[in-house]
Amino acid sequence: MAVLQAGGGVRRYYNINGWLFVAPALGLIGVFMVYPILWSLWMSFQTGKGLTTKFGGFANIIRLWNDPVFIKALSNTTIFFVIQVPIMLFLALIVAAALNNPKLWGRSFFRTAIFLPCVTSLVAYSVLFKSMFAADGVVNGALQALHIISSPIPWLTDPFWAKVLIIIAITWRWTGYNMIFYLSAMQNIDKSIYEAARIDGISARGRFLYITIPMLKPVILFTMVTSTIGTLQLFDEVYNFTEGKGGPSNETLTLSLYIYNLTFKFMPSFGYAATVSYVIVVMVALLAFLQFYATRERD
Amino acid sequence: MSDVKLHDIRKAFGSLEVIKGVDLDIKSGEFVVFVGPSGCGKSTLLRMIAGLDEITSGTLEIGGTRMNDVDPSKRGIAMVFQSYALYPHMTVRENMGFALRFAGLPKAEVEKQVAEAARILELGPLLDRKPKQLSGGQRQRVAIGRAIVRHPNVFLFDEPLSNLDAELRVHMRIEIARLHKTLATTMIYVTHDQVEAMTLADKIVVLRGGLVEQVGSPLELYDDPANLFVAGFIGSPKMNFFKGVVSAVNNGTVSVELPDLGGASVETRLQATDIAVGTAVTVGVRPEHFEDTGSAALNLTIDMLEHLGGETFAYARHGSGDLVIIETKHGRDLKTGDTIQAKFDPARALLFDVGGKRIR
Repeated sequence: MAVLQAGGGVRRYYNINGWLFVAPALGLIGVFMVYPILWSLWMSFQTGKGLTTKFGGFANIIRLWNDPVFIKALSNTTIFFVIQVPIMLFLALIVAAALNNPKLWGRSFFRTAIFLPCVTSLVAYSVLFKSMFAADGVVNGALQALHIISSPIPWLTDPFWAKVLIIIAITWRWTGYNMIFYLSAMQNIDKSIYEAARIDGISARGRFLYITIPMLKPVILFTMVTSTIGTLQLFDEVYNFTEGKGGPSNETLTLSLYIYNLTFKFMPSFGYAATVSYVIVVMVALLAFLQFYATRERD
Repeated sequence: MSDVKLHDIRKAFGSLEVIKGVDLDIKSGEFVVFVGPSGCGKSTLLRMIAGLDEITSGTLEIGGTRMNDVDPSKRGIAMVFQSYALYPHMTVRENMGFALRFAGLPKAEVEKQVAEAARILELGPLLDRKPKQLSGGQRQRVAIGRAIVRHPNVFLFDEPLSNLDAELRVHMRIEIARLHKTLATTMIYVTHDQVEAMTLADKIVVLRGGLVEQVGSPLELYDDPANLFVAGFIGSPKMNFFKGVVSAVNNGTVSVELPDLGGASVETRLQATDIAVGTAVTVGVRPEHFEDTGSAALNLTIDMLEHLGGETFAYARHGSGDLVIIETKHGRDLKTGDTIQAKFDPARALLFDVGGKRIR
């Protein structure tokens, strides 16, 4: 059969109307995302202070290994990530399971209350937390009144307790956010599956472990990846609680705060800051890959 | 012993009573079908037997033991759901063996039970697949397999075939009937499809508005319905109902005139003696009871025809009256607009009083 006109293969891909529709978004993404990403990659190979920079090859990467402050920030961030993410996701799962129980009194109220922290003003909550966790704050007061501690806990000045405080704060703020994902996924599970399990003699605990959790796997993976990214980029709480210092003595300094300080607080070192930011990128990519790999479908 | 006894079972949601006192006696090994229109309470009744819904009042006994407050897993029942309710993350093998594994049975024993159920249901080649890789009929077979491995005393089916297409429904219906023959276990089956009820049941329970309308074998219900509702619900196409007035009573023979059908009359013998001339009644005639001969005759004009090959359904009416459905094997030459005389044996006509109760 003779072909009278070529098929739309080429024209389909270069259909001008389609490109016109996506052009504004593409333009903005190009200018505000792709360009800065590529430029920061270029910058990460620049050395020097302020505006006098020159190409330094891998000098910044070598500098990372010899920079005790970077090592400290990296280890702090890792500690926050390793301890906080599992605790938060576990809590979110438990709270979601509890709030999914139709017999629970005041369900809507608790759902709202637990979700509220993540939409609360960051500055307001930081100020409140600082006051609550001050040496003479309500938390110490309550713990002392309950005879759990004999002397006030130095929440903001002790290296260990300062980390605990940051973990408490971000857990308080983001548990509700993750809980909503779990809750909505749980509500999508066909109720008759649970009824079948009840008839099969599976206990409530068994139903949670062997039905709910496996069925939430895609959502758990999603929250794991987003929480990992969030914690590796941790900045706000540390900045607000420690006046941007990451104190005491860099014990709460995170990679993001270090990047900020390198860029805007110390004598600006844009190249080196860009290199540190790429450390975060590599960590996120690596951890996300590991999480996807660990939770892959095995069939 | 796996008989099921329901005594004055009631279910209320707040002030709304949905099951209004059901008494039922299901014998061991019987296949009982609960049938009725949407919202009649048939599924609720089944769920109360399963223990998934609480019983508001009344007594439920399975195998002679009161089960009102016993956990669903300890009632000796297994249930097959309309939505299959398979565990989507488990293979067919794991789905069927889950209850046994959880109960702590040795692995070899679980394997044996699963293999036996798979053999009965011909699921062998599918054991390592996940539910999403199966067709609707296969999924339902897995759900039945999951019930079989537990060796229940009573099987409960909640509209198990409603999600399947027509052809598969017929196929699965036969499989379930075969299963009942093989296992000889008590089965309680809920459906809104009266064909399923007629073909599967030893005993049909017709429900309406939370009450039992009639209990009986399929043919009892077909031949001898207790009221208008059962008469209309059992049988497809539906029974025709005509308004009538008793015009004469003579030694047990009652003549009923049908004013909407041009004054046609039906003469039938009744046991009832208290029926008086002038009483308003409803006359019921099944579409398949119209024949070429018969002493009762209706003059009708054909409105529409459905030729099914083997038989023909003629939808006809007298003047502007209600449609009368006639099933005939000799309707190939009929045409829309034809005037016909539909005859039937008046002895097969059923009479109902104004309240819908059967007059026998």
